[in-house]
Amino acid sequence: MAMNKKALQSAIALAGVSAFALTACTGPSGGGGTSTGSAAGTGTITYGTTDKVVTLDPAGSYDAGSFMVMNQIYPFLLNSKPGTADSTPDIAESASFTSPTEYTVKLKPGLKFANGHALTSSDVKFSIDRVVKIADDNGPASLLGNLDSVAVKDDSTVVFTLKAGNDQVFPGVLAANAGPIIDEEVFPADKLLTDDEIVKGRPFAGPYTIESYKKNELVGLKVNPDYQGLLGKPANGGATIKYYADSNNLKLDVQQGNIDVAGRSLTATDAADLEKDSKVKVYKGPGGELRYIVFNFDTMPFGAKAADADPAKALAVRQAMANVVDRDAIASQVYKGTYLPAYSVVPDGFVGAIQPLKEMYGDGSGKPSLDKAKKAFADAGVTAPVTIKLQYNPDHYGKSSGDEYAMIKEQLEKSGLFKVDLQSTEWVTYSKDRTSDAYPVYQLGWFPDYSDADNYLTPFFVPGNFLKNHYENPTVTDLISKQLTTVDKTEREKVLGEAQTAVAKDLSTLPLLQGAQLMVAGKDVKGVEKTLDASFKTRLGVISK
Amino acid sequence: MTTLIEAPPTDGEGLLPTKKKSTGGGLGRYILIRFFLIFPTILILVTMVFFLMRTTGDPITAALGGRLPPEQLQERITAAGYDRPIFVQYFEYLAQLITGNFGTTLSDNRPVSEMLATYGAATLELTINALLVALAVGIPLGLVAAHRRDKGPDAALRVFAILCYATPVFFSGLLFKLTFAVWLGWLPVAGRAKPGTELALTALEAPTGIYWLDAIRSGNTAALADVMAHAVLPALALGLLTAGIFLRLVRTNVIGTLGKDYVEAGRSRGVSEFRLVTKHAYKPALIPIITVMGLQIAVLLGGAVLTETTFEWKGLGFQLATYLTARDFVAVQGIVVLLAVIVAVTNFFVDIVAALIDPRVRY
Repeated sequence: MAMNKKALQSAIALAGVSAFALTACTGPSGGGGTSTGSAAGTGTITYGTTDKVVTLDPAGSYDAGSFMVMNQIYPFLLNSKPGTADSTPDIAESASFTSPTEYTVKLKPGLKFANGHALTSSDVKFSIDRVVKIADDNGPASLLGNLDSVAVKDDSTVVFTLKAGNDQVFPGVLAANAGPIIDEEVFPADKLLTDDEIVKGRPFAGPYTIESYKKNELVGLKVNPDYQGLLGKPANGGATIKYYADSNNLKLDVQQGNIDVAGRSLTATDAADLEKDSKVKVYKGPGGELRYIVFNFDTMPFGAKAADADPAKALAVRQAMANVVDRDAIASQVYKGTYLPAYSVVPDGFVGAIQPLKEMYGDGSGKPSLDKAKKAFADAGVTAPVTIKLQYNPDHYGKSSGDEYAMIKEQLEKSGLFKVDLQSTEWVTYSKDRTSDAYPVYQLGWFPDYSDADNYLTPFFVPGNFLKNHYENPTVTDLISKQLTTVDKTEREKVLGEAQTAVAKDLSTLPLLQGAQLMVAGKDVKGVEKTLDASFKTRLGVISK
Repeated sequence: MTTLIEAPPTDGEGLLPTKKKSTGGGLGRYILIRFFLIFPTILILVTMVFFLMRTTGDPITAALGGRLPPEQLQERITAAGYDRPIFVQYFEYLAQLITGNFGTTLSDNRPVSEMLATYGAATLELTINALLVALAVGIPLGLVAAHRRDKGPDAALRVFAILCYATPVFFSGLLFKLTFAVWLGWLPVAGRAKPGTELALTALEAPTGIYWLDAIRSGNTAALADVMAHAVLPALALGLLTAGIFLRLVRTNVIGTLGKDYVEAGRSRGVSEFRLVTKHAYKPALIPIITVMGLQIAVLLGGAVLTETTFEWKGLGFQLATYLTARDFVAVQGIVVLLAVIVAVTNFFVDIVAALIDPRVRY
């Protein structure tokens, strides 16, 4: 008994001493992102994000968080060189159309995975076929809709047969979420593999390999010496990805130097605050997100099914709105520069993107013009004010949507040409209502599936498009079809420009803002700007310190 | 609350009363009874969790309702067996639990048992740290309050104790974070360690997951300092919650003990008041602390949810909040059941320790 009591006293004494030690032996945290322990001094960089990984299995995810990691660890047949969005061979030696419906890829010699297995055309066929076969709800199988079959010609040659010929978007698809090449000896053909099993199997042949993996907590990446692809040898000695639940902690950690780079997603307020901090630098690049207003051609003022239907007047209403809206003010005041004004249905930065709305509407330089708006009304015989029933969604496109649309309402009403009835609906109902003609004029947003201008045209402006806004223009449809199958790049860019101009004249939608990519890094960090391009791929290999 | 009624000792060895000798047979029987009481306790807890979770419907509807077409939703419900009678599901669930199978999480498709093992260590670390803070703060301050009874310091410490357990942990956590991490920059904002430290510690052979223990094992002093720095604020926020209770408990018991005959005898022999408090009066006052400590484990685990979320301390509490947001029924059920088991087992051990210290608790 006495022994027990003594032991207990000792334990309590030890607990007390330990607790005091715990609270006393700690100094300032400081110290930057350099690692303690084994990783110290190796030139590794630390990237922080609030994105999440759904799965590392390419067949099971179609989200930014998962794809960011995949871009570091898996090879692609085609990829984009930092600074561009063009798809060029990555681990492929060559990739081209060998007939209108055949896309042939030849692999570089001597490719291998980190586990030592050879990377051959059989792995390529397996990787692509598997995405289609599994067709996971959260996977990217829909991107391969135009793929008919994949054939292995020899160990280093693979032929993709397409349903529709000369698909200029297909190379972009191979560089996107459906394109990571995986090891057929590690992954099962008909089901997803868990992240831990993937890490254990080491089927990595990208710029990095995963050395340590705690899902949505910490990923340790080591430079892959066997990577022979487009991105080259990383400029750092390795990378660590740290995941945050709260963007406030992400912001504070980059400010305190506990991480080197903060990526997606800092709030507009955080970004504005960090721009004043001398210890860090805020980098901005073109973003793929597009925010816009949709006009329902049947139910909008003077629309086809309105009592006073008049196509010319309906167009004048759309034109007047395009002339009055002040995108700069919304971008700077509501989004603190985290979004940029958009003057086309294709965001700036994409190959073939032009800015037709900048010249066609407003003062010619992107600013609003009340005179031009009044002239549009006068020419069409529209009597002001026109009542606009404007709908927006408060929960799907970010909490600033309310401020954004309050500002749009203010801008439209201030012109004296419009009276705006602004309403909001939660997302599930909103999604159903917008396709059943319930909203004459409404908010929508878009994130690209692949880095090509077509992804902003085909889904929106061809008959039966997903907007369901009853817009149809044979000229636009022809131009969209033409750009899709035009092989010559210069010619295709020209056609893409014509398509954007034609759509800008009709104003089926009114582009407002494009999401700027945003990264914040310590002053000693280099190369961040190189990864902020229109491919929207985060490439940790270009960042160093 | 215990009061000692024995006469003061006369053997001259000390001032504490001599305890009744135990035969030892009573202790064995007591331990056995307490051990077998664990199982119905856990069964009741598991049953409550199971049925309470299902008051809102099946897990598939909870997670995916409104996001899938009704026919697809029904397919998944049928495939997972959630359309069967609830008692069939219940007994099947119990059978799975017995074999250690907690199911698979709905949101990230990982075995619940693996998830529990991964994050359990972090919560255990936080709980230990918080308990150390509670003991380090509560016991000495309780003794001071008792020693300076009804004087200024006593009044101040009593107010401090009330503030400690009345302040919500997320509020005190944010306050500490704002003061020591953001304004003063003395301590880290969040997390368990810097990324480099975490990588180094997870790369160890057979890591325990308790970072300070792993840092000590590896002899990595830089990592230990970093881990300690990260541990301070969460441990303070959570530990102070219990420290207030310990403080008042120690104060009350020491004051009670100071009125005992054997203490009076000590006084009459010229033993100083300070020595009486620190050497003799506090020992019996600690017995209730052991019992209360067991009860406080439940408080600490409950508080861990808020603390872990505030400080991004990625343990079971943090995951519980994440899975609740994702409406991941299976994961939430697994975590709640594990926490219930921990509380039941902890109480068992506390009962044993209390029985060893004070034989009168054995009925």
